[in-house]
Amino acid sequence: MNEDKLVSAAKSAFRPAGETRGMEQGRAEARPARALGAGREAAESGSAVETGSGAASLVESGLGEQWRRVRARLHAELGEATFNSWFKQIELVGVGDGRVMLAVPTRFIRNWLLSHYAERLSTLWSEEDPALSRIEVLVHTRAAEVAPVAAEPQAAPAPTLTPAAQIDGHAAPRHVAQAAPRFTAPQPTSASQIPNGFEDAGVGAPLDPRLTFDAFVVGKSNELAHAAARRVAEATDVTFNPLFLYGGVGLGKTHLMHAIAWEIRRRQPERKVLYLSAEKFMYQFVRALRFKDTMAFKQQFRTVDVLMIDDVQFISGKDSTQEEFFHTFNALIDHNRQVIISADRSPSDLEGIEERIRSRLGWGLAADIHPTDYELRLGILQAKAEEMASRNGPVTIPDGVLEFLAHRIVSNVRELEGALKRVVAYASLVGRPITLDMSQDVLRDLLRCNDRKITIEEIQRRVAEYYNVRLADMLSARRARAVARPRQVAMYLSKQLTTRSLPEIGRKFGGRDHTTVIHAVRKIDELRAADSGMDEDVDLLRRMLEGGNGAS
Amino acid sequence: MPRQLAFELGHRTALGREDFLVAPSNEAAVALVDAWPNWPSHGIALSGPSGSGKTHLAEVWRAASGAARIDAGDLATADLPGLIAAHAVIVEDIGTLPDAGERALFHLLNLAKEEGGFLLLTGREAPARLPTRLPDLASRLRALPHAELGAPDDALLAGVLVKLFDDRQLRVAEPLIAYLASRIERSIAVARDVVDALDRASLSGKRPISVPLAAEVLRSMGLALAARSWTGNS
Repeated sequence: MNEDKLVSAAKSAFRPAGETRGMEQGRAEARPARALGAGREAAESGSAVETGSGAASLVESGLGEQWRRVRARLHAELGEATFNSWFKQIELVGVGDGRVMLAVPTRFIRNWLLSHYAERLSTLWSEEDPALSRIEVLVHTRAAEVAPVAAEPQAAPAPTLTPAAQIDGHAAPRHVAQAAPRFTAPQPTSASQIPNGFEDAGVGAPLDPRLTFDAFVVGKSNELAHAAARRVAEATDVTFNPLFLYGGVGLGKTHLMHAIAWEIRRRQPERKVLYLSAEKFMYQFVRALRFKDTMAFKQQFRTVDVLMIDDVQFISGKDSTQEEFFHTFNALIDHNRQVIISADRSPSDLEGIEERIRSRLGWGLAADIHPTDYELRLGILQAKAEEMASRNGPVTIPDGVLEFLAHRIVSNVRELEGALKRVVAYASLVGRPITLDMSQDVLRDLLRCNDRKITIEEIQRRVAEYYNVRLADMLSARRARAVARPRQVAMYLSKQLTTRSLPEIGRKFGGRDHTTVIHAVRKIDELRAADSGMDEDVDLLRRMLEGGNGAS
Repeated sequence: MPRQLAFELGHRTALGREDFLVAPSNEAAVALVDAWPNWPSHGIALSGPSGSGKTHLAEVWRAASGAARIDAGDLATADLPGLIAAHAVIVEDIGTLPDAGERALFHLLNLAKEEGGFLLLTGREAPARLPTRLPDLASRLRALPHAELGAPDDALLAGVLVKLFDDRQLRVAEPLIAYLASRIERSIAVARDVVDALDRASLSGKRPISVPLAAEVLRSMGLALAARSWTGNS
């Protein structure tokens, strides 16, 4: 769904209580509004917060007051946890035509609210005002920071009023404040130029607001691809066609494509940009074939100015899909429309794709992205850590952790960022500070090639080596401290690192009773607490055993 | 799935959130599931040995999210857009994902991201360890937030034993729990089998559940070590 398209229709239909740009809506017909008006000058000046009159009309109507009561009731009925999960982030957009319009940050929350709480919400609202019987929920996106795609009909300048959240006594969300100043109202256009529900039909994929050029960290391995992507995004005419970005998985091809789309939307909002994955292209085509609707399918793709197909290697094999892709591709190139393709390998290396298609894919500029080097990985991690901090509040990452990740997670950027995300999420969920040890532990499935089962025999051998005693002493009846203590350590580790029962551990230590094992476990626990040397020894042994080959 | 829902035995395992016993071995997994919908990513994975609580925890999340549920083995032929329409999907036992299902899982992960849905994957092994053939899928799996449900510690094992008896409306004395907890392998799957065997032995022999009966049962289950240790001749 296009996040922006129906905005102005929605705006004109409702008595606004807040900034509605960049919102998505299930359905909106332009109907006369009940209390439009007051904020128009504010829109012109681009200020989202300085309007007095718009707010006044809301306060007069008591809308903010009603909303506060509805929220209070929900809070009381549903409890703190549920309320915080689903209702805390809702903003009141406005009311009009018997409808209450609310806005939430994600599509998912919208669907959840509508499927679980729509009835309750509308009941509560109609108690406030019997004329209000229906609830509509919009999704506002961070896409609001970018000028809307293509052109919207702007018969009247959109009203920009005090955000409902402010009236409501809550801080206005950041994106609202940022959105307004950067917004530039597109020129009025005729209806024929308005995208015809293009992405709403599910043809394209939504763009991730985080994947911009600003967020792309450039290094040696990706500078060519980055420069080419910038060039295409900034050019007013078609330069390289197609632009073919290729490289291994998770190196940033998708990021560059989203960044191109955002940049084109920002610079040339009148150009129609469509981004989708090759698999989605296939799905759409197969569906069109089934419903005998291939004309509409073709039409949808051939009316875009910029077409981006991600992971084109997935269009191999299926001949009819390949054929359709090829026709679409040719039609766009012939009409001088920009085509951008990504794949995990170069055009000439694509298997299962016809030769004529392969060769044509290589006609424009093919730019490859190489695996990252250490400096780039570290730079990416630092940028990612900053981004996470700016969104979720401060994150304390001690020296050495990012370096460690950059050193060890070398496969690709997705896994690198995923690793950082996992460490940060673990720390915040379990409420523990981030440390190097903790990071190693959280990521052990990535860092070690397998989770071998540690055996009691292995523990005995390793402990005997460590304390320089004979392996046979582990099993012997000797009680001299020099052998008894290492034996107890080995029993302790056997209890901690294997799932064996106490009797079984006892049996493996020369047929001892399970109470002997219990005694050993307690003894070592005490010693670890009292003697830091012992604590370090045991910890080192544990890591050696868990690490497999003695590497800590 | 079903071994947990052992209806044929006339009892039902309690799978509510409040029935889930939190311990150091599973606290990260519980915290991750509880954090929904504020997950760090569109998908998460839970891994752990059989009986470590993956299914229970997935069920807790299903109750909260209304998630659809599918076995990894059935993914290849599944209606993916239909699945993701629920906006929350549990894919069970990804270790059994056939090669033919890899593209489906890849597509499902992408759909979840695009459509704003959530995926919870369960499996014995961490997703990063799956022998995935499709590189695009492998890198997505390796990037997923993942929490492991480890082998239970002694306190959790004892708690689980109490709960397993409780699921069968059985009240047992503390010494029996301590007896079992120190003699069986630290595994919830084994605990479940032992409780099941004890319940049967008690019913068929019309004997109360006691330490001597437990010793017999462990011996008959091939856990002879424990029995030997109990009789003191080791």
